[in-house]
Amino acid sequence: MIKSYKLRRGLANTFIYIILAVLGIIWVSPLVYLILQSFSADPEAIPQSLVPASYGFDNYVKLFTETSSLNFPRWYINTFVIACFSCVISTISVLMVAYAFSRLRFKSRKKFINIGMILGMFPGFMTMIAIYYLLKAMGLLDLTNILGIPGFDGPILSLIICYSSGAGLGYQISKGFFDTIPRALDEAATIDGATRNQIFWKIILPMSKPIVVYTVLTSFIGPWTDFILAKIIAGDKVNNYTVAIGLQRMIDVDHKNQWFKRFLAGSVLVAVPVTALFLKMQNYYVGGVTAGGVKG
Amino acid sequence: MKKIVALLLAAMMMVAVFASCGGDNGGSSSSKGSGSGSDTQKYENAGKGFDANVADADFGDEKDATLKVWGPDEYTTLLTEQCEAFKKKFPGKVKKIEVVVQSESDSATMMQNDPKAGADVFGFASDQFTNLTNAKILAPVNAKYAADVEATNNKAAVDISKAKNSATGQDALYAFPETGNGYFLVYDKRVIKDEDAKTFEGLLAACKKAGKKFIMDVGNGYYACMFAFTGGLSLEGLDKDGNQLFNDYNKDDVVASLKAFSKLMHDYKGTFMTDATAAIPSGFTSTATRPTKVGAGIDGNWDTSGIKKALGEENFGAAKIPTINIDGKDTQVVSMYGYKMVGVNANSKFPRTAQILAYYLASEECQNQRAEKLGWSPTNNAVVDSDTVKNDVAISALLAQSEFSVPQANVGSIWDPFKAMGNTLIADETNPDTYDFAGLLDKTIKNINS
Repeated sequence: MIKSYKLRRGLANTFIYIILAVLGIIWVSPLVYLILQSFSADPEAIPQSLVPASYGFDNYVKLFTETSSLNFPRWYINTFVIACFSCVISTISVLMVAYAFSRLRFKSRKKFINIGMILGMFPGFMTMIAIYYLLKAMGLLDLTNILGIPGFDGPILSLIICYSSGAGLGYQISKGFFDTIPRALDEAATIDGATRNQIFWKIILPMSKPIVVYTVLTSFIGPWTDFILAKIIAGDKVNNYTVAIGLQRMIDVDHKNQWFKRFLAGSVLVAVPVTALFLKMQNYYVGGVTAGGVKG
Repeated sequence: MKKIVALLLAAMMMVAVFASCGGDNGGSSSSKGSGSGSDTQKYENAGKGFDANVADADFGDEKDATLKVWGPDEYTTLLTEQCEAFKKKFPGKVKKIEVVVQSESDSATMMQNDPKAGADVFGFASDQFTNLTNAKILAPVNAKYAADVEATNNKAAVDISKAKNSATGQDALYAFPETGNGYFLVYDKRVIKDEDAKTFEGLLAACKKAGKKFIMDVGNGYYACMFAFTGGLSLEGLDKDGNQLFNDYNKDDVVASLKAFSKLMHDYKGTFMTDATAAIPSGFTSTATRPTKVGAGIDGNWDTSGIKKALGEENFGAAKIPTINIDGKDTQVVSMYGYKMVGVNANSKFPRTAQILAYYLASEECQNQRAEKLGWSPTNNAVVDSDTVKNDVAISALLAQSEFSVPQANVGSIWDPFKAMGNTLIADETNPDTYDFAGLLDKTIKNINS
């Protein structure tokens, strides 16, 4: 038995750090491989060694210039548009639903909460085929250039609708957050003559930056990375693909022997907007705003 | 309140149901008059090809058709040209042909997801044929064209495109054979002499001498099945319960073949390597500082252009898969050989035009263009005998191999058992002199039907 406390602590820490380092390396190495190989300028189509022998921007340049068969830039814009619209619409709807359930007392409020819970328990892909046939029956999927905007086709609109319209059901976390904001604030505002709507926009929202940021992030990343629903809805309309389907197509049987490195480059680029959004928003993410909201 | 909600929901469902019904009717009513024609006619033009066989009258009352065609990426440009040529051949019949990229490995699944949104004419791989006919997605080929297809195409390709017609109870053609699809031997002429490429022993010795590797994907059922096929095992379709049927093979021969392959893998350990086929074009690539790693490999026609680019046209060698010495006798290795076909969607709004387009895409003219521009192996006898094909080493190798092959059609779950078998043959623990290959074969056969 080791008597010295210092020695014991030192040993234990070393042991823990070794385990953590190993886990860290395991976790990071695929990302390092992906980024390194995406900059590889080796002549082989499939990497032959773990670390490339030469580096360059070839894969990225080709991804944006050789667009005749797999049009990555187009897919990138599609996804960006879908994600931005869905993000704005669903953030607003999630927060409003959460506010209503948290602050307002109305008939059958409990029932709606329960219905929402039960509906939320069904896995999303269960209804996907039904959604596809409904959209098709409404004729949405075959529309092109909606409102005269070139490239704004039916599947893109359909995806925006699908991602935003069900979003309100995911209100629980935001509601939990709103519940922690003291009702005294609402009451004070009401006495000053504010309406419910004004309370939401002027009192509750400014105090809820962390949850707004959280909602924005999740509702942006969802459409950005979704594969199954996008694949079903886009079908064979290659121009309306999102990056997730596009990347998958780059490594199917027909393409992987030519496109593998461009696939890696594409994967790196997909991470860019999500990372940028997170970096931009994390400033707000940190501070707890509600603490000390009620004073004197 | 509850009642109102219930009523609203019910109303919404009704609207949705009617809306989708409306769409359906529009589609199917016009596709009823499918062009299967009368079967009793005699077809004098059989064997004369597309141009002699199609008359304007074949279009019936269809005109200004808009069609959608699915083809794989590499074929898109040529397919678009061919569709334009088709439009010019029959002025006024076709308004627009939309060519959409859809890989043949995926097209059958996409088609089954929603046949009505699928292409009118589409390419697919032969192992999907039974799925598609069972799902009633393929329209039967007009008997007049079928007679010609049968007369002008390779018999194996035609046989694989036939299924029982539920209406007549007879075998009928349900798709147009388009191209053959399989793998063969590719090698670097600087390493392997054409003479060495005739036997596995010579090939591996030459690779070993040069310090290069021989690569085949042993751990993949698509390639590993050839260890058993070489010993005389063959697939005979499925029974009505979906069990794989085999031919009446001689077990000792199959066991001897497995043993011979395993011995070869162990004798040339370090040279005989298993890896995904993607490693072959990469392994043939050299840079100023790095020489090629691979001397030869077994790869399919889909990688040919990549390999030619890596090796240079003058160093590119291709041949049928070599022979292997089994108990002192050189035996030709037997492989899996599939086909790709052009099918017509039974839900097409222009069934006659779609049928004629599919017939055109599978015709001698189009097959010849594909052989020339894409290196696709033809099924049409005239193209097989043409100079284009004879001068193309890769297509010739593939066609030579197709003579020694098991057709890839309507197969059961053979891939994983064959994969396990391949992995066992090459495993370090397997001692080819003492290993129980008969037991391995029994296990593989049992796993296929379990």
